[in-house]
Amino acid sequence: MAKLTKALALAAASVFVLTACSTGTGGTASSAAAAGQLPATTIKILAPSYGDSSQADWQKIIDEFKKKEPNVTVELQIEAWDNFTDKVKARIQAKDYPDILNDNAFASEATAGLLYPINEVMSDSTLASIEPALLKNGLGTDGKQWAAPDIASARLMATNTDLLKKAGVSAPPKTWADLETAAAKVAATGVSGYGMPLGSEEAQVEASLWLWGAGGDWPQGDKLVANQPASVEAFTEMKKLIDAKSTQPDPGATNRQAVADLFDNGKLGMYVTHSGLMSVTRQKFPNIHYELSQIPSKDGTPVAFGVTDFILAFNNNDANRKQATKEFLDLFYSDPMYEGWYKGTGLLPVTTSMIAAGKASDTDNAAFYDALSYVKFLPVSNPQWDALKNALQGTAGTIAKDTPENVLSKIQAQVDAQG
Amino acid sequence: MTRPSAVTALRSDSARPRKRPRRTGALTALPWVTPTLLLIAGVVIYPTILMFWTAFRKYNSYGIEQGSAGLNNFIGPAGAFTFPTVPWASVWTNTVVWVVVVVLLTLLLSLGLAQFLNKDFPGRKALRLVIILPWASSVVMTTTVFNYGLQTDVGLFNRLLVDTGILQTAYGFTKDPTSAFWVAVFVAIYVSLPFTTYTILAGLQSVPRDVLEAAHVDGAGAAQRYWQIVLPLLRPAIAAATLINIINVFNSLPILKILNETPGFNTGHTTTTLIFAYKSTLGPGVASALSIFNFFFCLVIIAVYLGIVKPTKEVQ
Repeated sequence: MAKLTKALALAAASVFVLTACSTGTGGTASSAAAAGQLPATTIKILAPSYGDSSQADWQKIIDEFKKKEPNVTVELQIEAWDNFTDKVKARIQAKDYPDILNDNAFASEATAGLLYPINEVMSDSTLASIEPALLKNGLGTDGKQWAAPDIASARLMATNTDLLKKAGVSAPPKTWADLETAAAKVAATGVSGYGMPLGSEEAQVEASLWLWGAGGDWPQGDKLVANQPASVEAFTEMKKLIDAKSTQPDPGATNRQAVADLFDNGKLGMYVTHSGLMSVTRQKFPNIHYELSQIPSKDGTPVAFGVTDFILAFNNNDANRKQATKEFLDLFYSDPMYEGWYKGTGLLPVTTSMIAAGKASDTDNAAFYDALSYVKFLPVSNPQWDALKNALQGTAGTIAKDTPENVLSKIQAQVDAQG
Repeated sequence: MTRPSAVTALRSDSARPRKRPRRTGALTALPWVTPTLLLIAGVVIYPTILMFWTAFRKYNSYGIEQGSAGLNNFIGPAGAFTFPTVPWASVWTNTVVWVVVVVLLTLLLSLGLAQFLNKDFPGRKALRLVIILPWASSVVMTTTVFNYGLQTDVGLFNRLLVDTGILQTAYGFTKDPTSAFWVAVFVAIYVSLPFTTYTILAGLQSVPRDVLEAAHVDGAGAAQRYWQIVLPLLRPAIAAATLINIINVFNSLPILKILNETPGFNTGHTTTTLIFAYKSTLGPGVASALSIFNFFFCLVIIAVYLGIVKPTKEVQ
């Protein structure tokens, strides 16, 4: 609590200082109308809330931007992650396109022709500062760079070392067989063994992890295929854990946060987590002792899950807004601005300089940085992904009461129906 | 007395074409009804037209329009009535059960409650206030309280049920679509009670005391007095309450949506919640197609109801 108040006070203070500076320069600039400054225009930003500081983190960059471009007004809208897509849809349907959108998908907007290719609104040097392996993620199936990653996150398995020791499990499981026995032993002590969130929030992530663990992947050629031998194997294994009562109750109605809450309260042995959730565990639940390890797979090859969120730029047919957007994004990715912003999210950076700095100094997240080298990503650039994601979110949870073959053919049918 | 002269004036008027005074009457009324007409146009007619238009346009799931859809939003491969894996049998039964059970039970409970609140007893005022509470608080809030209370790990209701020995272990009421549906039925009755009770209570207070006393003197028993006098006199109140409840309950989204935590096309849907599931997965076109069905379904229910009950008929 004290930490939080301190952080808030600091954030508030810095905002005050910055606004004071910006109004100061703003006043002189508007009277002088300095040469080389952009004409009066407004750019709009829509971004999700990664944490309590998200608003302030964006505002810092905006205030810095206003110092350079006093004539440009920046409108910031921050929304919570759940239902964020609905907020994006509402803006699109109202034809009120944000100039800058921070989101976790881009294929639908790109195929609808609403976006600028991101290299049109970012300078070459800014693009070059982003880790190429992550930048690749924003490439559309048409070969154009529609989006630029702004944060990355890797997922690994967290195990509660006390609970595992109590259950007589010596090391975190690496293979599915190990996981079965470990989860069953932990469950026998009266808490849940493995946390499996198959609810609407993250069923697509959990399902993908198990599919990769079986050695498969969704894309088969250009198509995304749900009903394939590897996914049947993956779903069969998931069902095994559910049937053995080794998971938390009602996996089909559980979201990642609920699983994390169980873990933080010492009621869960293992779950797949990310750096943001673990920083909460470290700060607010110091009694929970945990260890991070690779996500188990069928044969023990390490699996890790990577996510990048993206910056998208909508085409509003306005050269001034486009120019202002470009200047804003170049500022956003500059080291001094980006460092504060990405740290506020609790996730991992995407620029090569910040990754290097993080690897050297951020010991808490060392395992996540290491995992970045072998993470796999969801096929977010494929236009079919939205359909597959929705189908997984809505249907994957039914394996608790249905056969894997049936569930997967239902998912496939939903994807096929949407073309 | 000016009345006779007014009447004669009217009589003499009747020689002229009859429509004219009516039209001028309508014109003079126009300034007074314009705001209402604008409101109806804005919040009823325009959305209805938009719904029909949207139902025949093709959209992607982000709501970006992509031309005409023909009947694809209704019966195409990803149409409202043909999308694979939607459990239609339970959607239809749920919709009917939802409306009939909630409205009927609400009405029965309200009749009893209103009768009770109409009696004179100490603390009546306080009790009447307490009964208003679920009405005064927002439906979303009430439902969320129930949802939290029924959680498996932290829910107080679950804790109570386990501690009193009614349940062996905590049960995920909201985690299974079918049990979530029945919890929703319970909550819907709970939030519909105040309005219905008060409407009937108002009706009860308009039942003339002398008629009841006369019946009493004539030797009618309590049951007879209730069935023969009170209930017929309550007819307009019951009719209004039922009609409003049917529409409210049929269109009610938040209760079902908040209490059913299972995603996707599960067995806890009514057509109303299905519209919103479609909206987020298949886009506004398909959702509108199903809305049209809901729209007509609602019209039919009201027509049937008006035909059978004739709520506007005066009690003689």
